[in-house]
Amino acid sequence: MNERGVERSKKYINPYLGGVLLGIVLIAANFVSGRGLGASGAVKSVVVEAVDIVAPNHTENSAFYSEYLELHPQPLKAWLVFHVLGVIVGGFISGVLANRLKFKVEHSPRITSRRRLIFALAGGILFGLGSQIGRGCTSGAALSGMAVFSFGGIVTMMTIFATAYGLAYFFRKNWI
Amino acid sequence: MKPRVIFTVVFFALGLIIAAVPQSRTMQYRVGADDMLEDLHGKSQFISPDEVAAFLVEDNPVIRLIDLRSPEEYQAFHLPGAVNLPMTDLLNSDYRYLVDQDMMLNVFYSNGSVKANEAWMITSQLGYRNNYVLEGGLNYWAEVIMNPERPSSTSPDEEIARYNFRMGASKALGGDAGAETAPADVEAPLPAITKRPAKKRASGGC
Amino acid sequence: MGPLITNGIISPETDLLLAFIIGIGFGFVLESSGFSSSRKLAGVFYGYDMVVLKVFFTAGITAMTGLLFFSLFGWIDMDMVYINPTFLTSAIAGGVIMGAGFIMGGFCPGTSLCGAAIGKIDAMVFVGGLFIGVLMFTEGYPLLEGLYNAKPMGMVKISEILNVSDGVMALLFIAMASGAFWLAEWFEKRSKKVEY
Repeated sequence: MNERGVERSKKYINPYLGGVLLGIVLIAANFVSGRGLGASGAVKSVVVEAVDIVAPNHTENSAFYSEYLELHPQPLKAWLVFHVLGVIVGGFISGVLANRLKFKVEHSPRITSRRRLIFALAGGILFGLGSQIGRGCTSGAALSGMAVFSFGGIVTMMTIFATAYGLAYFFRKNWI
Repeated sequence: MKPRVIFTVVFFALGLIIAAVPQSRTMQYRVGADDMLEDLHGKSQFISPDEVAAFLVEDNPVIRLIDLRSPEEYQAFHLPGAVNLPMTDLLNSDYRYLVDQDMMLNVFYSNGSVKANEAWMITSQLGYRNNYVLEGGLNYWAEVIMNPERPSSTSPDEEIARYNFRMGASKALGGDAGAETAPADVEAPLPAITKRPAKKRASGGC
Repeated sequence: MGPLITNGIISPETDLLLAFIIGIGFGFVLESSGFSSSRKLAGVFYGYDMVVLKVFFTAGITAMTGLLFFSLFGWIDMDMVYINPTFLTSAIAGGVIMGAGFIMGGFCPGTSLCGAAIGKIDAMVFVGGLFIGVLMFTEGYPLLEGLYNAKPMGMVKISEILNVSDGVMALLFIAMASGAFWLAEWFEKRSKKVEY
């Protein structure tokens, strides 16, 4: 590893230590609330609430929205919404302590910022859609599912990584 | 020593300990395959249309009919007081309160009995109690309750009594069976309700 | 004893407060492990930085072993812990779509929030994409419903499918993870260094 790499890696904690700490957070979530971590579910709560405010007629007529709202009368007063607010605050605190706060578009020197942002948007859209179809994202289905031996969670985890590895070649220019 | 090596050694030690612990100490409750076979042979998960009709006629608050068909089919016709829980939503955590509870006696039904049986199998594998299956489904219900067949005059008394009960139930429940009813005097035995301490699994999902 | 909420030890309001605190812990650990950087995350797919694999699997086996010990000591009733239900078709379909999203966007939902929190503009755009993607699902639900609900298998565990005890399953995962970590470090040493 070169000098710069060593210096940079010092700023981040050891990955195995990070993993153990993350595992402890996950145990805490299960111990307190009987559930794992998550992120995309909160996005769904916000989307349903927003659609309900913008187009209440539409939500009444759509079976999905009306059912969701009937079961969650206050979509924003949900465990995952509070959890995700915490994630943002926690990430921010860590960023402050490590002096990493900075507005920037991170991308490979071989591509433009514009290209990076287009791919980020496309990736976000796919992840948003996929997380709903797969009943959870990398944290909600894959990580939390693995911790409780959920077969579905492990299948989702393996397909996420297998697909990403399978497609890595085609997108290599974006990253290396 | 490398962090990876320390980590691996510690976790292997912990893993060996936990692997040596008998499964029963760390496992969820399950209905054993033997219990399930016995239930199937004993037909103990079935409730006959007569029993269900008796519950409905006396407005028994303990019984809850669960219609497993699609909302369209449910809209078109459903048994009195039935709630609609399409088969596809059976494991939806939002509806778990319906199927995993100890207050009510649930009776699953669909057109035949395949779906309802499947629902019963799934729920009992999860350890949920108090779920039953309407024997023969709606088809059989229509046959015996809504349009009961008049027994011949040489039938045993029991048969005639059952016919009278069905006619009464049919009338009370809005069937199209004709008049000429005698008071129902057959007491349908009430299935026992198994109690289980109230437990609610946390809901989750990403 | 646990889970505290289902056993009525804490109120739903306290549960939400604790959700926030657990979220802070989650976000803090993700960020300090480097998960706020898309190029660091993407490294796992090209071999130049395997941090995702190390953190992810370490967290997974820590949590599964920890929960088994908690259960053994009677601190938590695993009957009441949510086990993600398995719908095989949608698990695979969702995984494929998410995998494509991962390699294109370089984030997953949790890590993009961390990235956005420290000012990464690409992460903010990714979060915007998440909203569009979820909206596509909620609007397109009538079309996706069949796929979404196909092949329900219930709350089935991998240990049941392989017919081993949970403890043995955990040991298997630990063995697999140890092998994967060894391979990962070997790969990191070998592969071309990427500056980011």
